[in-house]
Amino acid sequence: MYVIEAHGLTKHYGSVHALNGIDVLVAPGEIVGFLGPNGAGKTTAISVLLGLRKPTSGTIRLFGRAPNDPQVRGRIGVMLQESGVPESLRVEEVIRLFQSYYPVTLPTEEILRRTDLAAQRRSLIVELSGGQKQRLYFALALAGDPDLLCLDEPTVGMDVEARLAFWVQMREFAERGKTILFSTHYLEEADALASRIVVINHGRIVAEGTPSDIKQQVPNTIVRLRTNLPIEQAQALPGVQHVTADNLHLVVSTSQPEAFLRTIFRDDWQVTDLTVQGADLETAFRALTREDAA
Amino acid sequence: MNNGSDFRQEQASARHLSPTAQRSGQLGPMLFQQARSEFIKLWRIPMFSIPTLLFPILLFLLFGAPNARETLPDGTSVGTIIMASFAAYGLLGVAFFSFGIGVANERGQGWMRLIRATPLPAWVYFAGKIAMALAFATLLLLLLFLVAALVAGVRMALATWLLLGLTLVLGMLPLATAGFALGYWARPNSAAAIANLIYLPIAYASGFLVPVQSLPPFVQTLTPYLPPYHYGQLAWRAIGIDDGQLGLHIAWLIGTGLIFGLLAVWGYRRDTGKQFG
Repeated sequence: MYVIEAHGLTKHYGSVHALNGIDVLVAPGEIVGFLGPNGAGKTTAISVLLGLRKPTSGTIRLFGRAPNDPQVRGRIGVMLQESGVPESLRVEEVIRLFQSYYPVTLPTEEILRRTDLAAQRRSLIVELSGGQKQRLYFALALAGDPDLLCLDEPTVGMDVEARLAFWVQMREFAERGKTILFSTHYLEEADALASRIVVINHGRIVAEGTPSDIKQQVPNTIVRLRTNLPIEQAQALPGVQHVTADNLHLVVSTSQPEAFLRTIFRDDWQVTDLTVQGADLETAFRALTREDAA
Repeated sequence: MNNGSDFRQEQASARHLSPTAQRSGQLGPMLFQQARSEFIKLWRIPMFSIPTLLFPILLFLLFGAPNARETLPDGTSVGTIIMASFAAYGLLGVAFFSFGIGVANERGQGWMRLIRATPLPAWVYFAGKIAMALAFATLLLLLLFLVAALVAGVRMALATWLLLGLTLVLGMLPLATAGFALGYWARPNSAAAIANLIYLPIAYASGFLVPVQSLPPFVQTLTPYLPPYHYGQLAWRAIGIDDGQLGLHIAWLIGTGLIFGLLAVWGYRRDTGKQFG
């Protein structure tokens, strides 16, 4: 049985179509990453899957039941954007409150340790930094020892160190047989954590696969150079996804920059003024969306 | 209660429990945690707890204590009347502010979004809030009664103290529905301002700060249409000033509870529709 089984989900806010028909099947133990730029529909997708927003159309089952079934609620832990905790409560008080809601919980000490909040246990919420607050939301998500963790942009506001520590915690949690669904706009994060990446843009799934599948489809590098290589020939080289001419330069998006450069040096084309840089995700999504439209 | 291994077997078929998992979620502790956090959440906001708890006592000391030892021609102690009036004033404040501001703040903070994703039953959430208001009300009454007895020499039979306290606390509940309604209908940032704006004039016109007979005539014509006035009459009845209209006062409070209760439910539905639709 699937942990998440959703078919044909759409969500319209008036004339805004936030979701345009997505299907999501998540099996037990999977770590699925929703990857997409801001405004792609990731947050709406997660809210609808959790039963926090009603879909305009489509069906959702979590653990084979309706998402707002109390039995389902008892088995999921969530981190949401635009959520908040009463500011005059202390970290440990909020955690103990959440522990009391769930049929099964983890020891308070373990939750504090896993989320690195032991030193802040007596702090008022209002005193926490952005990153600490984010860790508190993670702590609340863990309170019910959930079988399914749903995390909407969990590492927003964390510094690099906190993010790496967070990834370690997520992996440890997954090793217990837990299922995790998270969203991010960092390809790197989806790559580091997910067993399967679902790329979302404009409320649609534009690509889906293992991280290595996705990386091959995504031009992760931009090569810019002056050359006498004709644009048509550049386009035909292996791994090249897209080429544009920019004054005297060619701008090449590719998933295999090494292979591209090896070829043009081997064939002795002139190369001057060469720069190689990582493609930002916007570029990557444009490429994926174009493939989707084609 | 099951021991650890039973609980594990019972859950194991469907769940992937952590090795350290513990049983939790019993109703008693859940209610206790919910009420406790509702209480300390407001207790730690000095802007709420200081005026709500101390102003009635301060007002009693300023205006009640100096005349407390006088008696009316019919033998009623002035101190007792003024104490009952400021107690009603204080609990009206608890009803307005604790629910109104608490609910509005939570809507503003997105706490409800998070709570909605947990298995917390809605009724436990509301029960926690009511328990919190009852706790604030009881605390306020204990402090005020203590000050009145020790500083102003107010003396009553134990049964009268209890009847007054019970009347005030129970009578507060229908008025609290107005606080809930305010919390759901006002914008999160303006709930406190609105509560402040209506609280004093209504308390004044209901005869809590000045006896009804001493109010300006045009205010007196409004007084019988204010629910808190009927609440005050019940409090006075408890200390022996009976205007013979018990049924009318109770009917007014029940009606108030129903009307504002429906408004609150409507506001709650509207809000959940907006946030979760």
